[in-house]
Amino acid sequence: MILMLFAPILMMFFASFSRNAKVMRYLPLGSFIILLPIVRLFMLSKPYPLWGDLLVADDLDTYVLLVSSIVGIGVTLALMRLNRRVEVSARALRRFYRFFALFWMGLMLSILANHMGLYWIGLEMATLSTVYMIRSNDEAAARKEAWNYMIVGAIAISLLLFGIILIYASAKPILGEDAMLFDALKAHAGSIPSPFLFEMGFAIATVGMFVKMGFFPMNLWLANIERASFYPVAALFSGILESAVVVGFFRFSDIAQLVNRSHLFGFVFAYAILTIFIVAFLIYRAKDFMRLFSLSGIEHMALIVLFWVSGGTFAALLHFGAHAFLKPALFLSTGVLESQGRYHIAGALRGYRGRGGALFFFLVSLFLLAIISLPPSPMFFSELYGFGAMVDTATQSHHLLAMIGAILLLLGLLGIIFYRFVAIYQSMKYEGQEESKTVYGSELLALLIFTAALAALLLPSSMAFLRSIA
Amino acid sequence: MIDFLIGLFLASLITALFTTRLYRLLMWYALNSLTLGLLALLMGSRLHDPALLISGGLTLILKAVAIPWFLKRLAGRMHLVRQIRPNIKIQYAIMLVPAILVFTFYLAEPITHMVQGNANYVAVSISSLFLALLLMMEHRNIAPKIVGFLSLENSLFLLGTTATGGMPMLVELGIFFDLLMAIVVINLLFAHEERKLS
Repeated sequence: MILMLFAPILMMFFASFSRNAKVMRYLPLGSFIILLPIVRLFMLSKPYPLWGDLLVADDLDTYVLLVSSIVGIGVTLALMRLNRRVEVSARALRRFYRFFALFWMGLMLSILANHMGLYWIGLEMATLSTVYMIRSNDEAAARKEAWNYMIVGAIAISLLLFGIILIYASAKPILGEDAMLFDALKAHAGSIPSPFLFEMGFAIATVGMFVKMGFFPMNLWLANIERASFYPVAALFSGILESAVVVGFFRFSDIAQLVNRSHLFGFVFAYAILTIFIVAFLIYRAKDFMRLFSLSGIEHMALIVLFWVSGGTFAALLHFGAHAFLKPALFLSTGVLESQGRYHIAGALRGYRGRGGALFFFLVSLFLLAIISLPPSPMFFSELYGFGAMVDTATQSHHLLAMIGAILLLLGLLGIIFYRFVAIYQSMKYEGQEESKTVYGSELLALLIFTAALAALLLPSSMAFLRSIA
Repeated sequence: MIDFLIGLFLASLITALFTTRLYRLLMWYALNSLTLGLLALLMGSRLHDPALLISGGLTLILKAVAIPWFLKRLAGRMHLVRQIRPNIKIQYAIMLVPAILVFTFYLAEPITHMVQGNANYVAVSISSLFLALLLMMEHRNIAPKIVGFLSLENSLFLLGTTATGGMPMLVELGIFFDLLMAIVVINLLFAHEERKLS
C-alpha cells in the first residue's frame, strides 16, 4: 500500500525533469493518480499500519488526505491555464511540479505519521518545497517573500522540533524510544513522569504550529507571502499545507488533554481569541482579495482549533473540510477576479459573458456566502455545533461568566468579519465598472469539483463518518 | 571534555554574533558544528549508542566541512556582500548576550530538574537556541540569516543530545535529509538571483 501511495508522487517528480511538451501536458494528471491509492486507503478498515508503528492510517488522517488530494486536483487544473493569467516560463512550471511532488511526499509523511519525528520531517520537507513554489513567480516581491518564508518558516518549524524534543524527554524514562509514537504517548499520558516538561513541550510545539498557520503574532506574514506568490500556491497553502499542520495540532492536543485538559483549553482558547481579535480588524482593512482570503483562512483555522479543544471534534472536522474546499476555490477564483488589477474589488463580479461566465458568477457568489457561514454552507452547521461545544465547556468550567463573555466577544468579532464580507460582495456585484473578463474551462472544472466536494460534506453518510472519527 | 566542548560550542556562537565579516561567520559556524560533532561522538562512545556516533560523524562531514565550504563557494559565486554589520550595536549586544544567558538559565531552571543527565547542558542548549535566533534577527543580509538558521538547527541537535541522550536514528537522519534539502533550496534561490543579474 505504501508503494502505491508514493509511486504516483515519484512518477510526477521524475516526469517533471522531462522537456517533452506531451509530458508537460499530462503532468496535471498526476494529481488524479495520487487520489486513487488514497481512495483505496480510505476504504480499508482502520487503523491500517503502512510501515510498522511509524506510519499508521486511521480515519482522521485518511479523511485529511482525501480532502487534500481533492484540493490538489483543483490546484493542478488551475495550473493548466496559469500561463494565460500570469507570466510563467515552461522551466518554472516544470520546477513547480518537481517541488509539488516533494511537497506531496512531505505531506503524506506528516499526515500519516504516528511518530512525532516523522511528522516533523514531513512538515519540514513540505515547508521547504513551498519556498521554491513561492519563488516560481519571478517578481521582486515574490523573491523577498520566498526568503521571508524560508526564515520565518524555519523558526516556526524549529519551535515545533524544540517542543517535540521536550515531549520526548518527558516520556522517554517510561517509554524509551516509543516516546516518539503518538499512540504510545496517548496510552501512557496519565503516567508521564514529568507532566510539566510535557506541557512546556506542547506549548512550544503549539506556538510553532500556530506561527506556521499565521496566528498571533505573525498575522500578516502568511498574507504577504500569499499575496506575492501565484494564486495556485496560495490555494496549496490554505487547502493542504495548513491541513498537515492542523492534523499535528489534533494529535498533540489529544495527548495534552489527557495530561491536563484545563491547561490545554485555557492556553489554546486565549491564543485563538487573541488571534481572531487581531485578524477581524485586519480583515476589516483588507483591500485586495488575496489578503482578504488569507486573513479569513487564519480566522477559520483559529475556529477549528477552538472547536477541537472545546470537545466539538465533529464541528472541527466539518469546519476543516469545508474550509479546505472553500478557501482554495476562492484563491483560484482570484486569478479571474483580479484580471483587471489587484485592487479592483468594486465590480469584480461584473462583466462575465456566456454560460461559463454565468456559472463562474454563481459559483463565486456561492463560495463567498458559504465562507461567512450562511446556510446551507457546511460552515453554518460546524459553527452551530462548535459554539454549542464551547457553551457546554463554559457551563462545566469554574469561570462561567468569563467564558460566556469570551464567547460573546468572539461572536462580535465574527460579526465584524461577516459585515465586511457582505460589504465586499455588494461592492463586487453592484459597484464599479463593467469590464469584460474571461473564464477558462479548466478553472471552471476546478471550481465545480470544489462545489461537488462541499455538497458531499453535507451528505448524511459524510456527517456520520465525521461523527465516527469524533 | 564534554564540559569543554559545550563551552566551546557556546563561545563560538557568541563570537559569531559579533562577527562583521561573512567568511569569518562561516568559520565560526564550522567551529560550532565541529564541537557539536565531537560532542556527539564522545557521548555516543560513552553511552555505546551507535545512532549518536553516526549522527556525530555526519555532523562533522556535513555541517563542519561540506555546508560551510558550499556556502563560501556560493557567496563567492554570487558576489555576496561580505561586510555584514549587525543591526544591534556592539555595545548593546555585549549587554544583551549575558542577559540572554542569565534569562535562559532562569527560564530553563524548572525544566532542568526533570531531564535526565546534566541539567546545565540543557540550559546551555536553550540559551544557544536564543542566541541563534538573535543571530537571525540582528542581520539584514540573507547570508547571515541562513547561518543563523543553521546554528538554530545545531542548537536543537545539542538539546536533543543533552536532554534525551540522543534522538532516534530515524529522526536524526531525517533532520540531516531536510537540512540538505534546505541547502538545495537555498542554492536554487540564489541561482535564480544569479540568472536575473546576468
